[in-house]
Amino acid sequence: MFKRRIPLFILAFVGTLLIVSVFIPPMENLGEDFTLFFDIIAVFAFFLGGGNLVRIHFGKLRRRKKDWGFSIVTLVAFFFMLTIGLLKVSSVGGVWNIPLLGIGDPAAIAASPTTEGSWFQETFNYVINPLQSTMYALLAFFVASASYRAFRAKNREATLLLLAAFIILLGRTPFGMELTRWVPESFSVLQIPNMAIWIMNSPNLAGQRAILIGIGLGVVSMSLRLILGIERSYLGEDRG
Amino acid sequence: MEAFFEHFRLWLAAFLTLGIFSFLYKDNPWYKLTEAIFVGISAGYWFVVLFWDNFHGKFWVGAGEYSINWVVAKLTGAQAPPPPDSSIDFMLWVGAFLGLLMLLRLVPKIGWISRWPLAFIVGSTGGLWLINYFASNVMVQAQATMVPLFSSAFGTGFDQNADAVIGALIIFLGTFSGLVYFFFSKAHTGVFGGTARVGVFFLMITFGASFGYTVMSRMSLLIGRIDYLLGDWLGMIK
Amino acid sequence: MTSKLFLALLLLPFSGLAQDDPAGVDMLDTAVVVVAPPTSVIAVDHKYDKGERIDLTWVPSIDDQLVEGKVLAYRIYRIVNDGGPQLVADVATGVGPYQYADEDLHRDSIYSYYVAAVSSNYEAASTRTAPMSPQREWMNLDRKWLFLIALIVGGSVLLFITAARRGTKLFVRKIAGLEAVDEAVGRATEMGRPILFVPGIRDMDDVQTLAALTILGRVSRVIADYDTRIFMPTSRSLVMTAGRETVKAAYQAAGRPDKYSDDMVTYYTDEQFGYVAAVDGVMVREKPATVFLLGAFFAESLILAETGNYIGAIQIGGTARPAQLPFFIAACDFTLIGEELFAASAYLSGEPMQLGSLKGQDVGKAIAMIAIIVGAVAITIGEAWDVEFMHDIVTWLSGVFSTR
Repeated sequence: MFKRRIPLFILAFVGTLLIVSVFIPPMENLGEDFTLFFDIIAVFAFFLGGGNLVRIHFGKLRRRKKDWGFSIVTLVAFFFMLTIGLLKVSSVGGVWNIPLLGIGDPAAIAASPTTEGSWFQETFNYVINPLQSTMYALLAFFVASASYRAFRAKNREATLLLLAAFIILLGRTPFGMELTRWVPESFSVLQIPNMAIWIMNSPNLAGQRAILIGIGLGVVSMSLRLILGIERSYLGEDRG
Repeated sequence: MEAFFEHFRLWLAAFLTLGIFSFLYKDNPWYKLTEAIFVGISAGYWFVVLFWDNFHGKFWVGAGEYSINWVVAKLTGAQAPPPPDSSIDFMLWVGAFLGLLMLLRLVPKIGWISRWPLAFIVGSTGGLWLINYFASNVMVQAQATMVPLFSSAFGTGFDQNADAVIGALIIFLGTFSGLVYFFFSKAHTGVFGGTARVGVFFLMITFGASFGYTVMSRMSLLIGRIDYLLGDWLGMIK
Repeated sequence: MTSKLFLALLLLPFSGLAQDDPAGVDMLDTAVVVVAPPTSVIAVDHKYDKGERIDLTWVPSIDDQLVEGKVLAYRIYRIVNDGGPQLVADVATGVGPYQYADEDLHRDSIYSYYVAAVSSNYEAASTRTAPMSPQREWMNLDRKWLFLIALIVGGSVLLFITAARRGTKLFVRKIAGLEAVDEAVGRATEMGRPILFVPGIRDMDDVQTLAALTILGRVSRVIADYDTRIFMPTSRSLVMTAGRETVKAAYQAAGRPDKYSDDMVTYYTDEQFGYVAAVDGVMVREKPATVFLLGAFFAESLILAETGNYIGAIQIGGTARPAQLPFFIAACDFTLIGEELFAASAYLSGEPMQLGSLKGQDVGKAIAMIAIIVGAVAITIGEAWDVEFMHDIVTWLSGVFSTR
């Protein structure tokens, strides 16, 4: 009874409340309040996620599974970051500050551990940041390989996709401008940069709109299924 | 010492950058090491940020600290803190309470209670976005498509208004046929199927446009990384 | 020194007079830039709020000109419950609109306002507005049409669900990407390789993640039936928790609760690219036969999809982010485009009630299509032949679909 009914009741109640709140001015801040609750729940949930990360790598280590050495690295990195971040460690000119342990200047990093100069922020700048940008930069290679694959797919849809992509790409470079400079002004729409603008503003816009309208309706229907409890597989209740 | 650290940081960043790039060749110990560092450091990073921003910044400052001080004062008979001002919002305890319920997963016998906060989250996400998406996606986009198919505002003479007229028609037909494609109630056959096919063409042009638009920016990211390796690290380009 | 202070204090009560009386200022013969005050200052209750806002409008001072205008700004003063005036804000001149919204007010206080035109060294105050309190409304009538149309669409969803429950047969066309799910799971089984399910990188407060989880429910049911391995790395702790509930339930429903393990659904890191680095690693090491990329994806969509391609997996991608869809189209075998992502779980369930909800969506599409046709045709005729009636239709339709 408690296991099944209460979650479904909470779901229906909270969902209906938030839908209605859009139309009732005294309830208009409800969405923000709930977002705040969500943020707080997410912190507690991290104990489950972070705990899982630690458990898995300790498990690998204990059982000396393949690549267990890298598990040590992950664990050390994780706890290192937790320590310097939660304790707000910093060092200026060779002097250590760990305000929460009463070492050094108590006001060293008063506000946030992400203050410039903290060990936490330094690690972000010199470890996370280059890693992020490099992963991001991998996209250049993947874009190339994806374009090649799309190029090989010989159907009408793929051709259209590539053609549009090609015109937009050229339209954003000086080369595209040079290529069709000879087209007379009265047919200026056929110049590649203008074609690119036209594609963005007309067929592209039309496609975007159809997709967006569909998404809006999809969300309405799925949310209703969830709130009504018709769709409840994620609650551990698959009736299928 | 500072100079050493300066060099260390440069080399560390370069080491990690090349570690990630080495994945393009194949999976290898260097990549695995980089990946392990990335996962560990970044998981820790986000927990710390979540902790200070959300738990401390929102809950503790907003309700937790005051409430606990008050309870402690009551229990020990000390002077109670002054009445809460407007910055204190006891409703935040709802979030903390639900968060605690979430942690009950760790207790196998009553782990099922953690479904309550889950139901709360799913209900609020569904409820919150239902009208939001409907308004911003369906209503706004439908309204925006109610445009004149030809109009004196487009200009006179073929060379001036041909692209505007065709553009307006294309937006209208494209949106319409795109919607036909998404229709679930009717099989894609006959005239309906033909229209849906036109819709697919429009979708493909849309995807192509996004694709082309993104390619350039991705290339500049790569150039940025190469610039770091050759410039900042190796000093080959100034 | 003391005598000077005394004199100043003595004159203080009169200092205001000089400001309020432009003639007096002239007599002093200083370079005071005199300006006329704004007129017709009106304060009205802001409609459809919870009673904490008053809107002010005024007609600008005649000295507020774009060229050689003497008015530099307007100062808004507020008087609460007959207290002294408080300066609330400075509003820039020149461009308009001449209005100000005073927010965070209380329903039980009485407010009155005046607006002063300010020159470089002079302030000309308007008359005060009549005292008033902000009002609270219980229904936002600005959104009545939104409410009505959402009710029609939501009502249609409910109606079709009820019809399906009563046994009415409902037709839903085939969706290629979803027809492939069974086959994709079967392939992994045959090859004895695992299935990778990536639910995007957003948390449970994103509807796309919810859509991914509902699909996971169906997919993991098939996986449990086939007794294939599933692996689901997540980048959010809450998604991990919900994912575990989902997969576990599927295994229970398939009568194989013993086969389920928490290790199927794991958390890596909240960091976007850290997560991608890890998932890429999992892909090349575990070599899944089938990869599902469903949910909210950003730049990483292509990294994941291309790595999946590289290891030769069958890939089913889906997202509601139009900017990432082209990458899935290019690199995945099947792509669920926008609405299809949200419809997928209903479709896969095959349950009449769930399929009914898809029919309800179509009613929404029909409404949008009719509105677009009527709107576009009316506005075209209206503009081309200047037909008053058509203009009225367009104005009305625009009002209906406006979402203030």
